Amino acid sequence: MHKIADIEIQHDIMIANRKLADRNKKILDDADVYSVDVLGAIGSGKTSLIETLIQKMDHKIGVIAGDVISKFDAGRFEKYNIPVVGLNTGKECHLDAHLVEHAFGDMPLESIDLLFIENVGNLICPVDFDLGSHIRMVVISVSEGDDTVEKHPLIFKEADLVVINKVDIADAVGADQDKMVADVKELNPTVKVIKSSLKTGQGLDEIISSIEGFMNK
Amino acid sequence: MHELSMADAMVKTVLDVAEKNDATEIIEVTIEVGKLTMLNPEQLKFLLDVLVENTLLEGADINIVELPVELNCNLCKYSGLADMDGSDHYLAIVKCPECGERNVEITAGRECNVKNIKIEKEEGDEDA
Repeated sequence: MHKIADIEIQHDIMIANRKLADRNKKILDDADVYSVDVLGAIGSGKTSLIETLIQKMDHKIGVIAGDVISKFDAGRFEKYNIPVVGLNTGKECHLDAHLVEHAFGDMPLESIDLLFIENVGNLICPVDFDLGSHIRMVVISVSEGDDTVEKHPLIFKEADLVVINKVDIADAVGADQDKMVADVKELNPTVKVIKSSLKTGQGLDEIISSIEGFMNK
Repeated sequence: MHELSMADAMVKTVLDVAEKNDATEIIEVTIEVGKLTMLNPEQLKFLLDVLVENTLLEGADINIVELPVELNCNLCKYSGLADMDGSDHYLAIVKCPECGERNVEITAGRECNVKNIKIEKEEGDEDA
């Protein structure tokens, strides 16, 4: 004889990630490390911005470089003689809290005070996965088109800091950089939006002071 | 496209519970997906159909239920369902449906929940 049984599971896959993220944040707090999840599309300038921040910021910086194949970005960071952990996601389009927890095992948290986690270049999937970082910095570039913000609202809604990069070429690519700022503000009225160019140095001081402002909160 | 990893986690969750409850067959699974997750229910369903092949889940009815978005307004203190009318569902995260304020906090709509399963088991087996 067989019988039918209804079984409540109530297992939220997202909550499972969020719990791991909370644990990551506690590990970071216990080690006195401030962490920035750096998100943005492929080619927006995430890696270059982090490289610049490594050189300009007066902090002991470490980087977790997440990518489908991470050795390329990791190699760029290693040139600065800082702790770097490459995270290969393989077929996955985002980092998750579990992967980051693994990376902590290879990152000497005791010898850094600021950790950049470079996410996979993608404006969609990483939004769903909190990593346990203290803030999320979204980097976009004018060359992605000035409708990029409108097309990807949630990542901007969830951002703590937004960098609109490559503004020096805005005219050349026909992008209205002020529209991009306004679009972010419409989605997230309280977020700080900084127009930057790594070529000219525009906005860099503001990015650094914003990150340090968050660290000192 | 992270539907594959999410679908894989769902299948593992269901099979784990089914095994612990000595299921001989899984008849039905209900999965709740918030409208603000970056998951496409149709892609999710497709991948689940692929992943369940040759498992106890093969042949089960998989119901995917979309959950609505809820928000708290930081201005008028409205708390409840977002306005999901209109063609662009993302408008819901932008504006309070009561006062139009854009400074709002999303309180629901990002779930990805394996809610329950209906299984068949041998009579006489103790419930887990």
